[in-house]
Amino acid sequence: MSRITRAALAAASTAAAVALIAGCSAADPSTSPTDASGEPQTGGTLTYLEPQTWNTLYPPSAGFYPNGGIVNNITDRLLYQNPDTLELEPWIATEYTVNDDATEYTFTLRTDVTYSDGSVLDAENVVKNIDLFGQGDPDRALPVSEAINNYDHGEVTGDDTVTFYFTAPSPGFAQAVSTINSGLLSDETLDRTGEQFGPGNATDIIGSGPFVVADEEIGTQTSLTAREDYDWAPPSLEHQGAAYLDGIDYIVAGEDSVRVGTVVAGQADIARQIEAPDEAQFAASGLSLYAASTNGVNNGLSFRFNDDRLSDIRVRQALIAGIDRQQIVDTLFTENYPLATGALATTALGYIDTSEYYTYDPDKAASLLEEAGWTLNAAGIREKDGTTLSLTFNEALPQPRSKEVVTLIQEQLAKLGVEVSIYAGDQAAQTAASLDQDQIQVYHSMVGRADFDVLKSQYFSHNRNTLLNLDTASDTVRDEELDTLLAAVASEPTTAEREAASAAAQQYLAENAYILPIFEEPQVFGLTDKVQGFSTESVGRPSFYSTWLVG
Amino acid sequence: MSYVLRRIGQAILVLALAYTAAYLLLAALPGDAIMARYASPDLGLTPEQIQAIREALGYDKPLVVQYLASIAGFLRGDFGFSVQSGAAVSDLIAAALPSTLILAVLGLGLAVFLGVTIAFTGTYGKGRWLRRTFRNVPPLFVSLPVFWVGIILIQIFSFRLGWVPVIGADPVQALILPVITLAVPIAAPLAQVLMRSIDEVREQPFVTVVQARGASTSWLLWRNVARNALLPTLTMAGLLFGELVGGAVVTETVFARAGIGQLTAQAVANRDTPVLLAVVVVSTVAFVTINLIVDLLYPVLDARLRTGGRRGRRGPSESATDRAADLELAAVLPKGDPS
Repeated sequence: MSRITRAALAAASTAAAVALIAGCSAADPSTSPTDASGEPQTGGTLTYLEPQTWNTLYPPSAGFYPNGGIVNNITDRLLYQNPDTLELEPWIATEYTVNDDATEYTFTLRTDVTYSDGSVLDAENVVKNIDLFGQGDPDRALPVSEAINNYDHGEVTGDDTVTFYFTAPSPGFAQAVSTINSGLLSDETLDRTGEQFGPGNATDIIGSGPFVVADEEIGTQTSLTAREDYDWAPPSLEHQGAAYLDGIDYIVAGEDSVRVGTVVAGQADIARQIEAPDEAQFAASGLSLYAASTNGVNNGLSFRFNDDRLSDIRVRQALIAGIDRQQIVDTLFTENYPLATGALATTALGYIDTSEYYTYDPDKAASLLEEAGWTLNAAGIREKDGTTLSLTFNEALPQPRSKEVVTLIQEQLAKLGVEVSIYAGDQAAQTAASLDQDQIQVYHSMVGRADFDVLKSQYFSHNRNTLLNLDTASDTVRDEELDTLLAAVASEPTTAEREAASAAAQQYLAENAYILPIFEEPQVFGLTDKVQGFSTESVGRPSFYSTWLVG
Repeated sequence: MSYVLRRIGQAILVLALAYTAAYLLLAALPGDAIMARYASPDLGLTPEQIQAIREALGYDKPLVVQYLASIAGFLRGDFGFSVQSGAAVSDLIAAALPSTLILAVLGLGLAVFLGVTIAFTGTYGKGRWLRRTFRNVPPLFVSLPVFWVGIILIQIFSFRLGWVPVIGADPVQALILPVITLAVPIAAPLAQVLMRSIDEVREQPFVTVVQARGASTSWLLWRNVARNALLPTLTMAGLLFGELVGGAVVTETVFARAGIGQLTAQAVANRDTPVLLAVVVVSTVAFVTINLIVDLLYPVLDARLRTGGRRGRRGPSESATDRAADLELAAVLPKGDPS
């Protein structure tokens, strides 16, 4: 028996080694295409690889990347947000006005826009859209859009004008109607239930965008074709008329190595979510990376300050000083993941630099903990009045390498005598646990949205509530001042006032050591040089309208 | 006949138990499908809004009520709706089943072919070294994880050699690598059991008698030894169906193929109870049916398990199962170095 086992082991390991060597040496890089920067060419079907299947095409739920990747290309919006400048420009609305306290918005609409089913995009239809997105319909399991606040109702106020009314100032509304969460749909589509926006219905989701869903294989492939009569692109774009591509095939490839390898081998054109360790493969000629900024709240930690141990600011400051963010970025990520310098990404609206609050200083961390009365016990863990300083972090499953990040932090904080454990579990379990500060004391997350409101979305007690400022059990807000500051960001009517409100809130978060931003999270796409003119909307969802394939 | 009825009764019991166990285990996990779908930070809904959706979908009712409602639904043939996507579960299953069936049938076919080849070569192959090599193949195969085999096959045959594309392959091309991936870990135990039972059958006196009467090796193998060695292998094949389901989950995920496996993987990740329960029911039905067929095949294949006439049907069939169990046990238990 032992001889056979040994022989088998030898055979197995030899085979494994051979296979690994064969597998690891990358395929020959495809030859560089000629004429890569010439005139855009029309035609061709682009193959786009997604790590996950989409689960609904209801626009307010399009924040999930697989959903947004499709919704962004089949719908138009009232306004166009320039992804580079984040300025709002005309699109379906040729102009808009807003009253002084931002409670009334009036849009003037184009009159030549039709949906792919032939129905007209008119004022009634726009009101029907925004009414649904602003109010939601729980009976049909259609949630309200996160981006639209204080919505009351919409009215047709002229042949081609609509006015929307709000119960309180809603300065983020103009940006909200430029996001994919407000993608315009035909009247018939708006009558569908939540279930009827799900897989199996893609071809019946009718927008006015440059592409139309032509075919769907549930769970694996969704095919879009270009609309030949499309002629209402944002006027600020260089490209007008129909899309260059004939179509796009969205294919689900969940396994990282398969997604990367397929593009590297030239079998597909673009893949989303290239993990940092795989980026090196795209350094070969004929391949490139596209890292899109998500323009929102940085990937980072929220310290739940209602927890008895974290209620002492010195403990939070010690954690911040004890975590070496530079080491995290250097060992786990690439230059596409810049070290965060504040709560928001540098490109986000309202960003201020608060990096002085986030310097790594382990000596200071140790003395802060001593000062706060946390002394090392026999096991080398800090202890005070019989409680040990052991904290549980969540694993942010949608975020890149969250487990590795927390593991590295675990190692760094262990040197200070702080014990870190990682909450294991799937998405539903993580979500459930993260609402309870007895289970998760330090919450790892991020959120992308190119508006001032994003700060409020992340930290406000009645939005994502990542700090658990709202104690869900007793329904009380612990830090009223933080809430007031955040609420101001989403209710001051002018841009200058919102900017000031956002800066005040960021400063407050930094001074109180409530958060530790780690890095600016990008969306990384890997593509072959055949793909030209690829771009993303303001939060990193692919836009294929101006994309073309080299011959 | 009553034997068949009794077996069907048992099958229904197994089905009910599997369903209940799956239901309870899913319910015991923290968080639920509503959490997974609507509480995800991507949507930014408030707890009140989530609660409204929970009520609209009937997820706020007591567990017992939901359980009974789901059973009633299944009895009516209504599998409900996926919480994650809202699609009808019956549509999802109907879309996924054919491609998984093709994959499973071809995978099993290739596994049987591989298993038989390995076992015959390992026992009757020419040359000691050849036999030894082939005897070492099953332990090797069984120790290769399915996902690893899949990734390596893709890396070598698709990315490096470019023989078959992974993306944009025609239906035949798209089956080649997944079928191989699925067959490898299933072929191994088949070959192992078959080799063991061939070894055992060879020791029996009748083999010497047949040989003494001048039978050639192939005559001996096909007409005498193989027929006798087949029963435990058949039992094993029935049991391996479970492995096939597990293998399909991994294979379909790695190869980005639509199918029950991929559906399962996604439903697990999203805690999509209605889809998972439907998958549990479908695979339990298939598993129970296949094993029932295997049991019914014993008397057909082995004359010793038949008794004359139809009147004694019940008794002998029972002994058929017992006999098969003995054989299987004997085949699986190690009996020292076979070489």
